[in-house]
Amino acid sequence: MTRDKQIINYAKGLLKISLEDGQFSEERAAAVLQSLEKNPPRNYASVLKEYLKLVQREVANSTAAVEHAGEIGDSALEAIRSKFSAHYGRNISVTTSQNDSLIAGIRVRVGCDVYDSSVAGALKELEATLS
Amino acid sequence: MSSVIEQIEQQIANLQAKTVQSNTGKIVTIADGVAKIDGLSQAMYNEMIEFPGGTIGIALNLEEDFVGVVILGESTHLKAGDEAKCTGQLLSVPVGKGLLGRVVDALGKPVDGKGPIESTETNPVEKIAPGIIERKSVDQPLATGIMAIDSMIPIGRGQRELIIGDRGTGKTTIAIDTIINQAKINDVGLASGDPDFRPVYSVYVAVGQKNSNIARTLGVLEAADALKYTILVVAGAADAAADQYLAPYSGVAMAEWFMSNGMDALIVYDDLSKHAAAYRQMSLVLKRPSGREAYPGDVFYLHSRLLERSARVNEDNGNGSITALPIIETLAGDLSAYIPTNVISITDGQIFLETDLFNQGIRPAVSVGLSVSRVGSAAQIKATKQVAGKIKLELAQFRELAAFAQFGSDLDAKTKAQLDRGARIVELFKQPAFNPLPIEEQVAVLWGIQNNYYDDIDVSKIVAAAGSIREFFTTRKEFLLVSIREKAKIDDELQAELKKAYDEWKPSFA
Repeated sequence: MTRDKQIINYAKGLLKISLEDGQFSEERAAAVLQSLEKNPPRNYASVLKEYLKLVQREVANSTAAVEHAGEIGDSALEAIRSKFSAHYGRNISVTTSQNDSLIAGIRVRVGCDVYDSSVAGALKELEATLS
Repeated sequence: MSSVIEQIEQQIANLQAKTVQSNTGKIVTIADGVAKIDGLSQAMYNEMIEFPGGTIGIALNLEEDFVGVVILGESTHLKAGDEAKCTGQLLSVPVGKGLLGRVVDALGKPVDGKGPIESTETNPVEKIAPGIIERKSVDQPLATGIMAIDSMIPIGRGQRELIIGDRGTGKTTIAIDTIINQAKINDVGLASGDPDFRPVYSVYVAVGQKNSNIARTLGVLEAADALKYTILVVAGAADAAADQYLAPYSGVAMAEWFMSNGMDALIVYDDLSKHAAAYRQMSLVLKRPSGREAYPGDVFYLHSRLLERSARVNEDNGNGSITALPIIETLAGDLSAYIPTNVISITDGQIFLETDLFNQGIRPAVSVGLSVSRVGSAAQIKATKQVAGKIKLELAQFRELAAFAQFGSDLDAKTKAQLDRGARIVELFKQPAFNPLPIEEQVAVLWGIQNNYYDDIDVSKIVAAAGSIREFFTTRKEFLLVSIREKAKIDDELQAELKKAYDEWKPSFA
């Protein structure tokens, strides 16, 4: 189960060349994959798995995943995008998904930071305070 | 009822536009009480991490990609993929007098079935030890009630005195005796109404012990009415290694409350060998590099940072003290093993208990040659110094001579006298378990040996003679004991009174 350090370092190198001005670039990542396909390294599958994990983390860090109950307007999404971009100092893209279990309000996840202003979250906190 | 409604209304009012930010991660692997978590980018070292179901863990390994979290308590309900959350808080335990008389676990939660702990304050489990400027020298005695220790290896308030020996040599008994003696002194002192009297509160930390042993200790303390001044912190052999690792730190956090509030505390760590083994287990599961005997590199720091928190602080910093009695179990009397040498070098002296002496019936089985107190003599009361000043030397010489005397039968008069005297001192120091003696009784008994009153009593009758003289003093000469306690030194008047008392007692015993 131990992850080979060499594989991790190789994958980190691949991620580095997949960035453009500190931002993940899909074009560069496609070029990296093409190059890998032509000249597959040792432990190709493991390298790809590790690369995928790093890319997922990088994408998650640049994406504000907005969960909402009910409707959410474009202006609100734009406000979220600009606020988080300013806060994290990088371009943040916004993805949305409907989640009725929130009852009302929204929950935004950027990387491992979660911002919860939903009724479900508030009720959960109330439950914890009272127990 | 109305306060709960108000609380709920307040919470609902706060619900309006409140956004809660949290730093989260997901469990990647979980095994042996340790979870590897992806995420938690803002986790701090030693921060409490919250898992589903209110389970708490401590972040101990902050790696580039993962955070290694040691889970406290039950972890069987957790699985890979579960969310973990940073709390932004360091682990804290309840502190205060509300804990006295209670048995708590490593997190300060009650385990004695006596209801919730009455405490409003908490202290962080990990804290930096008092610095140089905050400290004060050790000059107040902490009487153990054990004659051999109080006369030869005295302990002062704020000292760290290691109790070391093989299994079954009476290490725990010495610690329990000391706790019982503090309770007895507290009872007398508090009843006297003396405004300068400083009670000593005890914390007994049981690490990796059998629950039956812990129950027995609890029973002894209850029977001696010492539990009311004592807190028991328990992380038994069945508890997780993380709880065993934490328990001493929780105990000292509770003791620190007494120290910083102008009181004196005594803490017993029973024992640090098992504590080191629990830390080794945790470190190996966390995949930290192992060193000698598979202990991690920071096993010295594990104990030094714990024992450095025992100190006597000056008036500007609370004017209290923590005296520590760590216990170490050796294997076949090997003092040069890794953990024993570490703790010996950290502490201010050690009481070494020998299996051979124990088996010969010399109990407490204190080895005079290998035991030492580096700072305690400054704290010894003058009366004890006057009567016991030379006893350690005499006893050490006796042990040496006794070893040589085995080879020849012809001994000169001086050697024979030394052997006779040594044998009587050894007998005099025999003391049953859980029966600590007040310092004034110890002085009265030792005055007799110093003034040769036991020389013509047969060695086999010395224990009986010591019992008889103690009874004589407590029943017929109590004013003398009170005088020793109050004066704390033997002046000419007291000397004459003691002589008179012994002369009166001697024919009655003979």
